[in-house]
Amino acid sequence: MHWQDILRPFTTSVKGVKKGAMVRWFNTNTFYFTPVVAGELLSDGSAVSRTFNPSLVKSGAITKVILPDPLTFVELAENSYYTSRERLIFAYCDNVLRPEVEHLSRMGIGYVQFSAPGVVARFRGKPLPRAELEQAGEGLRTVLKGVKVRSGYHTFFGDAAPYLPALFDLIPTDDIGFDFTETDPASLGSGEGLIAGVADARSSYVESAGELALRMGGLGEKFRKITLAPSCDLQYVPRSVADAKLRNLAAARLRLIGK
Amino acid sequence: MTDHKAFPTQEIGSLPKFSWRTKPFRQQPLEEGDIAVARAWGRRLGVKNLEPLLRLLKKRSGFTDEERRRIVEFSMLYAIAMQEKAGEHLREPGLDLVWSGEQARTEMYETPVSNIKGFEFLGRVRSFDNKYWREASVRRKPAYLRDYHLDEFLYTKSHARRRPKIPVTDAITIVAWSDHYYYTRKWGRRSLAPAAKRFSARREMTLELAGVIRRVVRDLLRRGAREIQLDSPAATQYQTVEDAKLVAESFNETTRGLDGTFSLHSCFPPKYGYGILFPHLLEAKNCSRFSFEYANRDGYAVGVDDGRRVGYEDLKLFRDYGYEKELGVGVVHVHTDRLPTLAAVRDRILYAQKVTDLPPEKIFVNPDCGLRTRSPEVAYEMLGLVAAGADEAREALAGN
Repeated sequence: MHWQDILRPFTTSVKGVKKGAMVRWFNTNTFYFTPVVAGELLSDGSAVSRTFNPSLVKSGAITKVILPDPLTFVELAENSYYTSRERLIFAYCDNVLRPEVEHLSRMGIGYVQFSAPGVVARFRGKPLPRAELEQAGEGLRTVLKGVKVRSGYHTFFGDAAPYLPALFDLIPTDDIGFDFTETDPASLGSGEGLIAGVADARSSYVESAGELALRMGGLGEKFRKITLAPSCDLQYVPRSVADAKLRNLAAARLRLIGK
Repeated sequence: MTDHKAFPTQEIGSLPKFSWRTKPFRQQPLEEGDIAVARAWGRRLGVKNLEPLLRLLKKRSGFTDEERRRIVEFSMLYAIAMQEKAGEHLREPGLDLVWSGEQARTEMYETPVSNIKGFEFLGRVRSFDNKYWREASVRRKPAYLRDYHLDEFLYTKSHARRRPKIPVTDAITIVAWSDHYYYTRKWGRRSLAPAAKRFSARREMTLELAGVIRRVVRDLLRRGAREIQLDSPAATQYQTVEDAKLVAESFNETTRGLDGTFSLHSCFPPKYGYGILFPHLLEAKNCSRFSFEYANRDGYAVGVDDGRRVGYEDLKLFRDYGYEKELGVGVVHVHTDRLPTLAAVRDRILYAQKVTDLPPEKIFVNPDCGLRTRSPEVAYEMLGLVAAGADEAREALAGN
C-alpha cells in the first residue's frame, strides 16, 4: 500500500478536501495530515484503489481494504463547509465511501473494513451521542446497498461497552469488531458476525495460541461467525512480532475449531 | 536563563545528515558527488580545517572506527556552523543557542536506549510516512550505563561560538516508544482494570528511567552544560489527566536536586492540542521554558490577528494560567519544503509576544521541531528564516 496514513487517500485525492496540519493519531506515535473539508466532498471512486497494486487482488485470497469509518473521519476532520456534523457524515458516506466501495467491489475486493477508533477512543471519556451512531449506521447502509462485498466495522483503542448493544443494532456491516485489550468480551452479548481482536497489537509480547484461544471465553456459542484478529492495526509492533502474532492467531483458530 | 535580547533564537532538534556522514556507517562507498557536497557546504559554512576532512573522505570506503569518529566530529562542525551562520545576509547572523544537531546520534531514541541497561531491540516500527524507529523492549529495570551525550556536548562546547545547549530525550518519550514488557508483566498480576494496569506500568517505568536520565544530566552539568533541553515529543501521546501529571512528575524527577537551566520541547499533539497537558504541565517547576511546535497548524498569510495566526491559539493557555517564564515558539513547519515568507515568520513571532504578553526577551524563536527530514538546503533556509524573522520582529518592536 502506498498510503502513509489511513486518511491520506482522502486528504490527497478527494475533491473538497485539503491537507491540513500533521497531528497525532490517537494515543500512538504515528501521525496523519488533518483532512480539511473546505468544499463539497466528491470522489470518483479511485482515491483508495490508486494507492495499491491491483495485482494484490488477483492472488486468489479474499482481499480486504480498510477505510476510516464515518464517525472517525468526522471526528478527525476540520470542517468549514458543511453546516453540521450530520451533513458531513452523510456527505462522506454518499460522496466518498459509496463510490470508493463500489469501485473496490468492481476490482474484486472481497472485504471492506471500516476502522472506527473515533467511536470508542473518546477524549477523556466524552461519550459519542447515540444520534451520531444512528447517522453513521444510516450512512453505511447507503454505502453498502447492493454492493457485493462483505463488510466489518472494527472499534479499537477504547472500550466499546458503553455502545453496546447499539453497535450491533445500528451498524449494518456483516461483522462488528472489538479490541479485547479494551473491551471486556463478557460485555458483548450475542450476535451474527464478530471480529474478535484477541491479539494485543500494541504490545510486542507474542501471545501463545493457547492464550489467544482462552481470550475467546465462551463467545464461540454466542456468534454465528467469528474472525480472530489483532486488536488493531499491526503497524505498532515490528514486522517480526506482527508475523508471529498472525501465525499464532491461525494456530488459535485451529485450536478453537478442534483441529 | 533569560537573554537580554528580544526574541533570542535557538535550534530545537535534529539537523539533516549529509551523505558523507551517513554512508560510512552503512558500509556504502562515498562517491565523488558526496565529496563535492562536503567541499561546497564546508566552504559555504566557513568550516575550518576542511582539507583534512576532504582528504579523509577521498578514502571512499573501509573507514576505521577512528576515521568514522572524525567524520562525526566534522559533521558536528557543519551543524554548528549551519546554526551560527543562519541568515548570513543579516548584520548579526546566527542563532543564539546552538548544538550539534543530532549528528553524533543515530536518532533521539536509539542512542539513549542503546546506552541504558535493560533494553533489547526488537525491530523497526513506522512512525510517519517512511520514517521508522527501532523499537526496544524493556526486559529488566533500567540502569545507568554511561553518559551517552557527554562527548558530543564537550565537542560542541569547545567548538561553538554561541551558547551551547544539549537536548536529552526524556523518560516519557523513551517509555512511549518502547515495549513495556518487564513492567507489563509486573503489573499484569495485580487485580486492577486494564487501563489502570497499563498506566501503573508506564508510570513506574517512567520514574525509574527518569532516575537514570537524571544521572546523565548531572554528569553533563558537572562538565559545564548549562542549558538542558528535555525532549518530550511523546508528552501528548497518552491523553489522560494522569498522564499529563506524569509529564510534569517525570520532568521534576529528572531534574531533582540539579542546578541548571532546564527546558522542555514537545510537538505534534493530537487534534485537541497542547491543552490536554494543562494545567498539570505547569507543575514542572524546574522548567524555565516550554518550546512547542505551532507553525504546522498555522496559515501562511501575513498578520498578527487571531484569524491569521490560528496555529498559535494554544499560546493563550500560558497566558490564561498566568505563566511568566520563557517560551520557545516554533515558527517554521518542518514537515514541508514550503517556506513561509519572512513577513509571516515575523508576524508569528509578534503574535506570540502579543498574545502571551510576555517580555520579548522571554520569547525564544525556533523551528517547530527537528529538521532531519529536510534537505540541507531547505534546513539551512529554514534556520535563516528563524534568524531573520526574529531580526524583523525586533525591528518591528523597536519601530512601535
